[in-house]
Amino acid sequence: MTTTEPAPGDAPENEIFVDGADWEDVVDAVVDDTITVNMGPQHPSTHGVLRLVLELDGETVLRVKPVVGYLHTGIEKNAEYRTWVQGTTFFTRMDYLAPLHNELAFCLGTERLLGIEVPERAQVIRVIMTEFNRIASHLVWLATGGMELGSTTMMTAGFREREHILDLFESQSGLRMNHAYIRPGGLAIDVTDDFVQRCEALLELLPKKIVEYEDLLLRNPIWNDRLRGIGIIDAERCYALGVTGPLLRAAGVPYDLRKAQPYSGIERFDFDVPTETAGDSFARFLVRIEEMRQSMRIIRQALDVLPGGPVMVEDREIAWPSQQALGPDGIGNDPEYIRHIMGESMESLINHFKLVTQGFTVPAGQVYEAIESPRGELGYAITSTGTNKPYRVHVREPSFVNLQAADEMSTGLMVSDIVVVVASLDPVMGGVDR
Amino acid sequence: MSDGQTTNVPDAGHGLSGVAMSLEAIERQVQTRFPSLATDIAFGELTVHATPETLVDLLQYCRDDQQLSCEMLADLSGVHWPAGEHIIERQTSTTGWPEYRVSRERGVVEVLYVLRSMTRNHWFRVSVGTDDEEPRLPSVVDIYPTANFHEREVYDFFGVEFDGHPDLTRILMPDDWVGHPHRKDYPLGGVDIPYKNDKYIPPPHERNLREVIR
Repeated sequence: MTTTEPAPGDAPENEIFVDGADWEDVVDAVVDDTITVNMGPQHPSTHGVLRLVLELDGETVLRVKPVVGYLHTGIEKNAEYRTWVQGTTFFTRMDYLAPLHNELAFCLGTERLLGIEVPERAQVIRVIMTEFNRIASHLVWLATGGMELGSTTMMTAGFREREHILDLFESQSGLRMNHAYIRPGGLAIDVTDDFVQRCEALLELLPKKIVEYEDLLLRNPIWNDRLRGIGIIDAERCYALGVTGPLLRAAGVPYDLRKAQPYSGIERFDFDVPTETAGDSFARFLVRIEEMRQSMRIIRQALDVLPGGPVMVEDREIAWPSQQALGPDGIGNDPEYIRHIMGESMESLINHFKLVTQGFTVPAGQVYEAIESPRGELGYAITSTGTNKPYRVHVREPSFVNLQAADEMSTGLMVSDIVVVVASLDPVMGGVDR
Repeated sequence: MSDGQTTNVPDAGHGLSGVAMSLEAIERQVQTRFPSLATDIAFGELTVHATPETLVDLLQYCRDDQQLSCEMLADLSGVHWPAGEHIIERQTSTTGWPEYRVSRERGVVEVLYVLRSMTRNHWFRVSVGTDDEEPRLPSVVDIYPTANFHEREVYDFFGVEFDGHPDLTRILMPDDWVGHPHRKDYPLGGVDIPYKNDKYIPPPHERNLREVIR
């Protein structure tokens, strides 16, 4: 059971170790009434491998210390040894619920260093795809959040609708997730002929489903009791802790980088920034639900103005051959282009080979490009020294920064509320640990 | 595409109060208060080059000043610029890839702070360098609590000691890790393997960085 024998010198006298005894015996032996409990890293309610060290006074939480890094894969370091185009294939794997946002932010930064403007068609498709990605990400949040509070119906429903969006992504990029679809200079591949049709089918389906979720949860007494008044954070603390995204908007600040620093021509579209004033988990739920509706509003307008033309810059120093068509095997090919480089022009073949193996060089400089990801400000601080590889790329991950607020949001709550707080923070560990 | 933050003044739907300052106005204001600091504008972004001595005062001023009003530290990151001739790309002879050279008298770890005003909708960068032999900077956690995780990350990856940080421990790498992996002089070569092709290979932290393991 419990040992109160202090190790000579270092351990404090009242240190107690639990080794398979009655909980009551442990509690009796505790002198100062606070217990430190490890939650995670392998815990079904911590959104992946997040470890929370809880300091408890009985059931009440005094302190939460998030311990991260279990999923660190060194993507930033890896990118320093990859070309700029290869970089997108790495960054898309960071925040795996918002891969297109990661690609977009990195590409916007690279394009600013290159000083190029991507074609309008590519910009509009980027907006459509990232907004669909936002909906998909919020659906996963709703699904996993519901599951953690015992609503398995919500889980199956959320993942079901997300799958439709992933089907769209798969039909356009060949991959459900980690697409590497947005490339510096435009898009990897043009959309298929039935793209607009597919989007419209989704826009038909999703609003009905969102009403269903609201019917299920909005007046659900369990959902209300568990979420209302839990995990409160106000605007001032959001500023101090760098918290952005739905958390900041649920605290009453209508700050959205799509409005504040529009990217990819998103300022042309009419949409609202939903806010709530309560600053609790329920307010975040309402904000995210409304954000899905606003994203659909943007997509509808974007589909109306979707122009023709190329989806990649014309510059052959940068552009990957973009006239590819998606074959039945899911791989893009351009028979015309292949005939050209293999049969007609040696120089084109050389250019193609150099572009694929060596990549293009990017002028030296530093940029910080931030966009609004589903979780908040996603920033890419890119340093280039004028070579074909980034010198350093640092990612300001909203999940990583927002996680700092977990401590303040949880103080004084019960252990079971920690699950709600973490769920409403919506951290994606792939993004936190990078 | 955002080609510079100053043109995007918040519209009516945005709901924020202030008016964004132009980069030049921010530059003037900072230089009036801190005449010794150099600034530059490139790619539509303003960078203020601070020194470790002025860093805390500068950030405090930027946060509290009514005009600059930088409520949020949006990002904090490090970049390592090692001293001497440093070649990373070793395949120049075979593929013709550009060499990846950095040449400096003195090694520097550059730490970048992105300061953002949400009410006024402008932002700029503060850059501060510290010697890479013994990198040390004052912590800004007291001014911006969000710097806590960021500074731990920069410590973890670059070894910068932030004076006054409440809990300066590794954050993403394991606690017992040796070395700071994002430094350019951090030896690469993968996992700790005792030998390969009958040759003894020292563990990464004992390895000469210029040595190529084949």
